Formats: sequence, structure tokens, C-alpha cells
Amino acid sequence: MNCEKCQELIHDLLDGTISRSDEFALNTHLKECLDCESVRQDLSSIVTFCRSHRGEYDAPPNSQALWLRIRNVVEAEAANVPVKSKAVRKSFLAELMGRSWEMSLPQLASFAVAIMLLVSIVTVVAIRRGGNNPGPAEQPREQASNINERVWQRQQVINYWKQRVELNKARWSPEMRDTFERNLLVIDQAVNQSLNELNRNPHDEISEQMLNESLNDKLVLLKEFSDL
Amino acid sequence: MYETSSRRFVFLKSPLVMKAISLLRSTSARRALSIALAFVIAVCLSGAVFAQQHLSKRYQTGKNVRVELRNISGTIVVESWNKDEIRLSATIESPNAHIVPKQMDESLIVDVMSDNRGRGDVGDVNFKLQVPVSSSVDLETRRGQISVSNLRGASVRAHVSTEGDIELTNIVAGQVVAQNTIGNIFFDGEFSTGGTYEFKSTKGDITIRIPGNSAFRLVAASPARKITLGDFWNNGFKTQDGRRYVGDVGDGRSSVSVTNFNGQITFMRK
Repeated sequence: MNCEKCQELIHDLLDGTISRSDEFALNTHLKECLDCESVRQDLSSIVTFCRSHRGEYDAPPNSQALWLRIRNVVEAEAANVPVKSKAVRKSFLAELMGRSWEMSLPQLASFAVAIMLLVSIVTVVAIRRGGNNPGPAEQPREQASNINERVWQRQQVINYWKQRVELNKARWSPEMRDTFERNLLVIDQAVNQSLNELNRNPHDEISEQMLNESLNDKLVLLKEFSDL
Repeated sequence: MYETSSRRFVFLKSPLVMKAISLLRSTSARRALSIALAFVIAVCLSGAVFAQQHLSKRYQTGKNVRVELRNISGTIVVESWNKDEIRLSATIESPNAHIVPKQMDESLIVDVMSDNRGRGDVGDVNFKLQVPVSSSVDLETRRGQISVSNLRGASVRAHVSTEGDIELTNIVAGQVVAQNTIGNIFFDGEFSTGGTYEFKSTKGDITIRIPGNSAFRLVAASPARKITLGDFWNNGFKTQDGRRYVGDVGDGRSSVSVTNFNGQITFMRK
């Protein structure tokens, strides 16, 4: 006899409906199997207890109200479900973090393909959006304003050094003052020449290079003469 | 008032004055007076010359010495000689000017700017330096000409903040920088393998005279479109409407950058 069949027969035994042959077989098994014997003893003590205390427990006076209270408790618990799910999510995250990320070759390959697809889609979208940029007529204007803004920024630094030079100029000899003014004028002419060219053609690399260099030259000249 | 005028008239009519006027009218007297005047002017000028300071010093050095000179105004002349020493001579216009050269290890530093801070205008200081052939020189002046000749050192730098010609003659150095605002730049020398050479002027001509077998990578820019490459031109050069030329001459072993705003850039073969 196996334990499953034995536990079925234990119920019959306790109910007193077991046949003699089954009772014999059951007793034989119970002598050999301690687990089934333990189950028989537990069930037997429950049945004995119930039989001895029969009639002591009455039904609740308002069974309908009892069911309502039970339903309220169930609904209240149902209302707490998000909290529970949050806890579940937390545990999921924790599980995710704690998980080993070793991937098989096919997994890796599919992951790489997914990334490539994503990058391609993003690139295509970016290019299409790029096509929506200001038209060719607006671009030079925008670039010209960028150049003017950059020049303006440099001019702020130049103005600072110019002020410092102005403070010292009185100490110079008239020849030195003339030389300085003459050379500053030459550099300013170069700056203006480059700016005019850039306003005409904002893509002109040479004019941009010349503008940068002449602004640098001006700054260096002012710095050098601010010490004098 | 009338009395004063009549007195002056009487004075002009006095015999002594009349005699002096008649003397001045004669040619020989006028000549004598001119000579006297010239003599007075010469005496005054010689006084001014004597007011100038002269500085002359010698410094014992090794062969590979470095000279740094920061001048305010005046000429700088550097020449090489076959001695392991530097000879510095200077003519100082103002008696207030101080020059204190400093020798440190293998370098000599002369900083007129620092030595005369707070002394006001010190006028022109004209330098002449004789240095060992393999010296490196770093020369600066706010105004004035710079001339360097016969050097075979590591580097030559000549910077004129405003106006003054730069003349570099018979130079063989790994690094050469020559820059001014107004004035001509002349380089005569050789480009060393792996060397860098930079020439820049806002208003002036830049002339580069080098051997025909020179090998370098050139970037030359002149918005005025005045670039002449002469014998060094080849079909490999890329140009942007004549304002900039970029290309290799030979195998492009050294790097040359020439920028000129309003003047001519000329390459010449030695």
C-alpha cells in the first residue's frame, strides 16, 4: 500500500466505514510508515476533540452581518493591492539587479541586432528632422549672426585691455603713441575687411581664419602695450 | 607811448647798430656767422651724443646658449661669431634707462621692460649682440627693426609688436618665428627636416629665400591674393581663389606657414 491510498483509508477508518481487509492492510502500513501513522494520530485527535465538544459551538446570531464584515475586510485588502504590487515590483527590481547577466551567443546576437535597429531608426529620424532645419536662405543669415556674436564676445575682452592701455598712454612718448595708434588702425582695417567678406560669404574659411588671427593680433598688441 | 617809440627809433638810428647792419649785408660776414652757428649746433649735438649711455658686456657661455631679449623701442642686431661667449653692446638713449642682463645657466636674459618698470619713457635702446653660432635667440621689441644673421641654433624668434622690419639672414634652425604688424620680413636660410617655420605680417612684404631642393609643407594665406611661389610651385598645390595655397614641396619634411594681410608673399630660390 502506498501513502496516498493509506491517507484515503484513514478517513474511512475514522468514519468507521472501512472494510476488514482494508483495515488490515492499513494497519500493516501504519506500522511500517511513521508519517502516515502521525497523520492518523492528528486526524484522530481532531475527530475525538470535535466529538467530545459537540453542541458547545452555536452559529453566529447574524450570519448576514458576518459575511458583510468579511467582504469589507476582503475589499479593504483589495484596495491595498498597488502597495503590494509596488512591493512586488521592488522585489522584481532587486531580482533583476541581482540576476546574473550572462547571455548565450544567440541572445547576444539578438541584443546586438536590436541595438543596431534602434540606432538606425534614431539616425533616420534625426536626418529627417535635420531636413526641417532653416532653409538655405536662412542659414547664411544665422551664421552671420553667429560670427557677429563671436566677434562681439572677443570685442568685450579687447575692450577690457583697451581700457588698460588708455590708462597708461599718457606715460608714453608721442612717437610711441603715434606708432601704437597707426598699428591698431592697420589691424582694425584687417578685422573690418574680414568681417565684410564674411558678411558677404559666411562660409569663407580664409576670411574666418583672417578674422580670428587679426582679432588675436589686436588682443596681443593691447596686452603688450598695457604693460608699457 | 610815443616817447618809447621815439627812443626805439633813436636806438635803431644809433651808429653802432647801423654799423652792425652794414656788416651783415656783406657776404663774408654772413659766411662767418653761418660757420659760427654750425659750430654751436655741432657742440650741442655732441653734448646730446655724450648724454647717451653705452653698455658693453661679455658673458662666458657654452656653445648652445639661449638669448632672450625684451626691448621696448630700438633696433636689435644679432650676429654669430666663433667664440663661446656673448658680447652685448647697447646704446641707451635716455640717461634714466637701466639695463641689467641676467645670466642663468646656459641663457642670457635682457628685459628692458622689467628693468625699467615705473621709470616712464626710456626712449630707444639699440642692441648689438654677438653670440655663438649654435645659439637660440628669442627677440622682442614693441617698435624697431630686428636683424639676425649666421645662426645655426635650435630656434629663432623675432617679434615686433608694431612696426619694424625683420631680417633673418643665413639661418638654419629647427624653429623660426617672425612676426610684425607693419614692416617687411625677409628670411634667407634653410628649412630643417621636421622643423616649423612661421612668418606673419599685417602690412608688409614677406620674402623667403631658400635652396631649390627644400622640402616642406606650405600653408600660405594672403587675402590680397599676392602669393608668388616661383620655382616651388607644383601642380599638387591646392588654392582657394589665389588667397590661400596649401601643398607639399618635395616630401614636405618641414612645416611652413606664411600669413600676410596686405602685402606680398614671395618664395625665391637661392
